[in-house]
Amino acid sequence: MNIHRKLASGLRSLSAVGVIALAAAFSPAPAQAQVKGGELVVVQGSNPPSLDGMSTSSQASRNINMNIYETLYGFSEDIKPIPILAEGVDISEDGLTYVFTLRKGVLFHNGDEMNARDVKASLERYRRVGATKNLLAPVKDIEITGEYEVTFHMVEPTPTFLEAFSSPRAPAIIIPEEDGDTEAGKNSFIGTGPYKFVEYVPDDHVTIERFDDYSQDLRSDGIDGFGGKKTAWLDRVIFRIIPEPGAQVAALEAGEVDILEQIPMPAARRLESDPDIVLHENARWAFTTFIFNTNVPPSDNVKFREAVQVALNMEEIMAISSEGLYTLNHRWQYEGTTYDPGQIGAEYYNQADTERAKALLEEAGYNGEEFVILTDSNIPQHGRSAVVIAEQLKAIGINAVINQVDWPTALNIRMQDEGWNGWTLQMGIEPYLGPVGLIATLTSPARPHFVKPDPELDALYQELIKGETVEARQETFKKIQTRLYEIFAIIKVGDSGLMHASRASVKGFIPFRFPRVYDIWLED
Amino acid sequence: MTAEANPDTLSIGQEIKLARRRRRLTFARRLLTHPSFLVGFVILVLFTLTALLADVLAPYGPTKINYRSILAPPSAEFWFGTDAYGRDVLSRVIYGTRVSLRIGVFVVVMTGILGTLLGTLASYVKWLDGLIMRSLDGLMAFPGVLLAIALAAALGPSEVNAIIALTVTFTPRTARIVRASVIVVQGMQFIEAAHAVGASHARVIFRYILANALSPLIVQLTFVFAVSIVAEAILSFLGVGPPPPAPSLGNIIADGRSNIQEAWWIAVFPGLIIAVAVLGLNLMGDGLRDILDPRHSGARDKT
Repeated sequence: MNIHRKLASGLRSLSAVGVIALAAAFSPAPAQAQVKGGELVVVQGSNPPSLDGMSTSSQASRNINMNIYETLYGFSEDIKPIPILAEGVDISEDGLTYVFTLRKGVLFHNGDEMNARDVKASLERYRRVGATKNLLAPVKDIEITGEYEVTFHMVEPTPTFLEAFSSPRAPAIIIPEEDGDTEAGKNSFIGTGPYKFVEYVPDDHVTIERFDDYSQDLRSDGIDGFGGKKTAWLDRVIFRIIPEPGAQVAALEAGEVDILEQIPMPAARRLESDPDIVLHENARWAFTTFIFNTNVPPSDNVKFREAVQVALNMEEIMAISSEGLYTLNHRWQYEGTTYDPGQIGAEYYNQADTERAKALLEEAGYNGEEFVILTDSNIPQHGRSAVVIAEQLKAIGINAVINQVDWPTALNIRMQDEGWNGWTLQMGIEPYLGPVGLIATLTSPARPHFVKPDPELDALYQELIKGETVEARQETFKKIQTRLYEIFAIIKVGDSGLMHASRASVKGFIPFRFPRVYDIWLED
Repeated sequence: MTAEANPDTLSIGQEIKLARRRRRLTFARRLLTHPSFLVGFVILVLFTLTALLADVLAPYGPTKINYRSILAPPSAEFWFGTDAYGRDVLSRVIYGTRVSLRIGVFVVVMTGILGTLLGTLASYVKWLDGLIMRSLDGLMAFPGVLLAIALAAALGPSEVNAIIALTVTFTPRTARIVRASVIVVQGMQFIEAAHAVGASHARVIFRYILANALSPLIVQLTFVFAVSIVAEAILSFLGVGPPPPAPSLGNIIADGRSNIQEAWWIAVFPGLIIAVAVLGLNLMGDGLRDILDPRHSGARDKT
């Protein structure tokens, strides 16, 4: 109890630091005039799987790519679709045509001006290689209706289309027409963003530099989510790959690097009062989840999965996996957001009920088969929650074994229909996108994370994306939440935060879904 | 004792037996009075006892998680502190010695058997010599630990695979040592004599050759034991040893590395244990070599 309280108070003071940092960032004092120039080093733990912005949904790629590429529409700071490369969109009454007008004078990094042909070529490529290409499924065809105008003809009205189209998960970036025919990962890394690609040395770094002919979006005063008016102050930004968290912290303390995408919480607590380091809390960073493979025994049995659900002590898993930066939440949305489904499912959450679990296991006819938990060593939260979950499952008599591999291998194994039973996953971007983005990962036509599609959940997903009003969609989402606590194919463990850290010389940094290296500058 | 009192009444057979026993006694006395052997031996015994009595000695379960005591510094409750899961580091280290010992013993036994087999075959069966030794040279071209890491990574992380990887890595060196000493013994007259009186190959090999060629092997195996403990820690540290949450010493150190500045105790204590165990085995190996191998003997062994 005592230790818990100490932890909580530590966290409170940490978030206070975050708030102060935020306040400082939002109200630049005269002494904080932006400085042009300099080189910024941002550290992340793993290689970007691709620098082709549309063909990957990996965070490690997004961190870099969102500084290089832009989309027609993207999310604002308060998660509403706003035009970025588009001037705007006209949606017909029947919801069957979307006319996008483009901003004029926007230059690609190769000096060419962006026009409707580039947009069509990019989106046709997205249909082929986009990591979430299903988001264009409602679009029948894309027609060039002017030098700076494209028209989408829809298969059927899809009220949630613009939100899905704005998704940064695997963003529908605009690239030059010449790159339209290239395979995934084989484009020339040319975009329209404030920084341009220079070089990528795998396992070491990615370098980007300021694009001097960047066409600022002058419709707003400053940055706004993924869009707004972006200003690149820095000459060069280096994304350095350092897998070892201890080494990352040491490099930050030594002043060799400027920003850590993630700092371990014990190190954050130690450096709390260090004047050279600023901590930035990103409280709603991810859902900690535990996903079953519903295709193989013993996890193909819903009673078995229910046993796991009621056996787990979420508080213990979250406290350890997030190192103390967490909120207990049974909802498949953040609490208090538009689609918050309320208390549905709460009776199954954080139960740590050994007796009930054992009874359910018996009902399931479980007889000691191996339960393989897939996890990786690259994302620390994954490995830590796997260890705690395995320990809790052993306590109710499940023969849990951990298969810890590296992250790319884990992604590979989980795409196989057999060979794993459970998988620990931090869902970062999907909960941020709201219900559609999240449920898309659990339903057809994509491959559901839990392997075997659930027809009822699939039907609810269709109902969700076609819901005409927010109220209608809220009702559908409650049904989805209910269904998720009936099939127990994926377990919500909790909400976890992420702590970023920067050197005090880095000014203007605001925590977001990726490190925006524009509108930040270095001060001596 | 009676035999010593009446040496004249002994038959030749009895006399040989007696001489052997006397030699053995002197050998044991020499071992136990050899300081470095003794220190090493005591360390090894303590290490083995810790491993065997882990269930009794460890105050907590090695994988017992307690989120209310995460990263607690060493205290009366947790002598070696706790790790990021609130697990007691002392208990994990105690059980870790068991993993190390198990891997060490298996690797020594397998390396001993395979090394002896290959080394003896190579030297005794002439036409196999080139084949065996060149293949082993091929394996030896890889730096030792690197080969073990590559093998363990290819086979997948598990204790059995770690044992296989380390055995494959250490067998060539052992075989080479056995071959060298077998060749020396083979050239001696008593071997020729054994052949001449019609002893079978098996008898010659086991009774005469191996019995006289084993001392370098024993020294080598203590070295293999020591290196296995370090290599197991390296493999686990890199994530290709026994998978988590197994309390192997390398795993514990790996768990502690990201918090080394905030919680030094997680990595330091298992590190110390490895250092002491390896030191002990090396001291023992040195002592054995001094006593078994007269060419390397120091002045104190001249008696």
